[in-house]
Amino acid sequence: MSAVGRFARNLELEGGVPTVGASGVNVVKFKDYDLQYSNGMPIRYVAFPFPVAGQPRSVHRGYVEGEDLLSGKPMMQAIIDALTEPLTEEEQMEGMPGEAPPEPRLLGPDTEENLMRLFKDREWTDYNPIVLPTETRVAAMLGGTSRGPEEVVSRMGSRELTVEKAAVYAVMAGAKPDYFPAILAILTQAPSFGNSTSSMANMIVVNGPARRELGMNSGTDALGPFSEANAVLGRTFTIAGKILGDLRLDVGAYSTLGSNLQYNNLCFAENEEALPEGWEPLSVETGYARTDSVVSVGIGWSLISSVGEAQIRHPPHMLIRDYMRALYGSAATVIMDPTVAGLLKDVHGFGTKAELGRWLSGNVEVAAGTFWGNGVNTTASTPMALQGLEPFATWLKAPPETLVKPFTNPGAVKVVVAGGGIQTTWFVTDFRFGRGIRIDDWK
Amino acid sequence: MKGRILFSGAALSAAAAAAFGAALLSTGCGDMEQSCRERRITVLNPAISSKVVERVPLAPRLDTVQGKTLYMVDLQWGGPEAAYSVFEEMQGWFSRNMPSVRTELRRSVGGPFGDDPALRKEILSRKADGVIIGIGG
Repeated sequence: MSAVGRFARNLELEGGVPTVGASGVNVVKFKDYDLQYSNGMPIRYVAFPFPVAGQPRSVHRGYVEGEDLLSGKPMMQAIIDALTEPLTEEEQMEGMPGEAPPEPRLLGPDTEENLMRLFKDREWTDYNPIVLPTETRVAAMLGGTSRGPEEVVSRMGSRELTVEKAAVYAVMAGAKPDYFPAILAILTQAPSFGNSTSSMANMIVVNGPARRELGMNSGTDALGPFSEANAVLGRTFTIAGKILGDLRLDVGAYSTLGSNLQYNNLCFAENEEALPEGWEPLSVETGYARTDSVVSVGIGWSLISSVGEAQIRHPPHMLIRDYMRALYGSAATVIMDPTVAGLLKDVHGFGTKAELGRWLSGNVEVAAGTFWGNGVNTTASTPMALQGLEPFATWLKAPPETLVKPFTNPGAVKVVVAGGGIQTTWFVTDFRFGRGIRIDDWK
Repeated sequence: MKGRILFSGAALSAAAAAAFGAALLSTGCGDMEQSCRERRITVLNPAISSKVVERVPLAPRLDTVQGKTLYMVDLQWGGPEAAYSVFEEMQGWFSRNMPSVRTELRRSVGGPFGDDPALRKEILSRKADGVIIGIGG
């Protein structure tokens, strides 16, 4: 439910107060979807041109004196009409509306060519070739788990992703039945990317014995297109996420740029065998045993490479710190080659990943103006600042050149080791990880 | 492990892999002869049915805004300065064009993702006649 729709609904419902929702035209066009599947109340909206934030007052005056982009009326007349025009029959409707007929379980019979076209037309694929989910193939995929086909793996509102649907998506993505428990664990986190105007992506990290059992790549080219398991696990998340989230272009999907990372979701395995002594796998840092097979699904936007070799006079942790200044703050995940981890442990004394996370949290500084210049920070943290919550209250009052430390939670700065020991390279990212999911629970 | 365990893991994997391999062989057309291209197959539907939610009616509307009190609530989408002056411009418009309309401009302290129970209480207790809320983006 949109934020504006949620507030408007509360005021109309609790107090009987006529309310008009004002939104940018970029999101008002999704109001009918919100009404049908989320809000249930036909909120009256007016649509302002987009963008609103960052515009000078003269532009805002023009918006108010201009037209409502939804009705075409002068904006202020549209607002007054939304508060005064008698309710239509539809706006007075209550109770359950007529349901659309449920989707059939089977499609066809038809030719493969026609079915392939149908799958693309319905936006069920990533537009790369898929394997059609015949009953035989799906049954074979279901053989990869002891879970029943009707069990629910994930939900979005009233939409349920069952084990059978997950098997359909796994077949489409080209998965083997052996992959299916890991896929089910990953799909507990679906949908994720896409349902935001910002251009989010996911990162999937696999830890534990399953990495080897599935043939995942954690070494040379771990993040490249060189492993069937890495490729297919990540792709299945995309296909499932699109369908569960109903992420059709301009219907449920409205990230302004999108992200190429969404094709595979940065799916790789951690190179646990190459971790320096004392450095624990990502899954262990979030509470699992090394013997547990775990998938962790993070969410973020940005990926910055160190590009070249580590240097002695400005070592990796210092350059990582410098590059992290380009991230919005709050959370970060550093993906580093084992050679970088070795340098940081043996030469620079970081005995654990957590020590490095604490050092970065305490040493990454940006100007307050830079912090507040990021729209995610401003939208999410300003309300806390205005309520007097620290450190945001102090940062909001600080001169723009004042240095602040945006990674306030050292535990949100994670490290994952992968790569083949060929170059001392690393990526800094702003991906945020919570606790992972045990694969064995889905066997 | 949850659920039923019918086979050992290894046996399950082997059986599933064999069935899956056979399934791939049985439907692949390769470069496809005409008869293969025209073969008609049935597949499982990837779509998930949406269940629509219960409809809730809007509150009755005003007969006029003349002489009424309208609250303007800035959700601070994009920050405290993002849309505030849009609401100030609206206030100015009412002052110039409909001076009998009283306006109250407030920021919702919880921002777009939180709540502001005190503001909601104020709006309801002071019996605001109408509310303009936004601006979502």
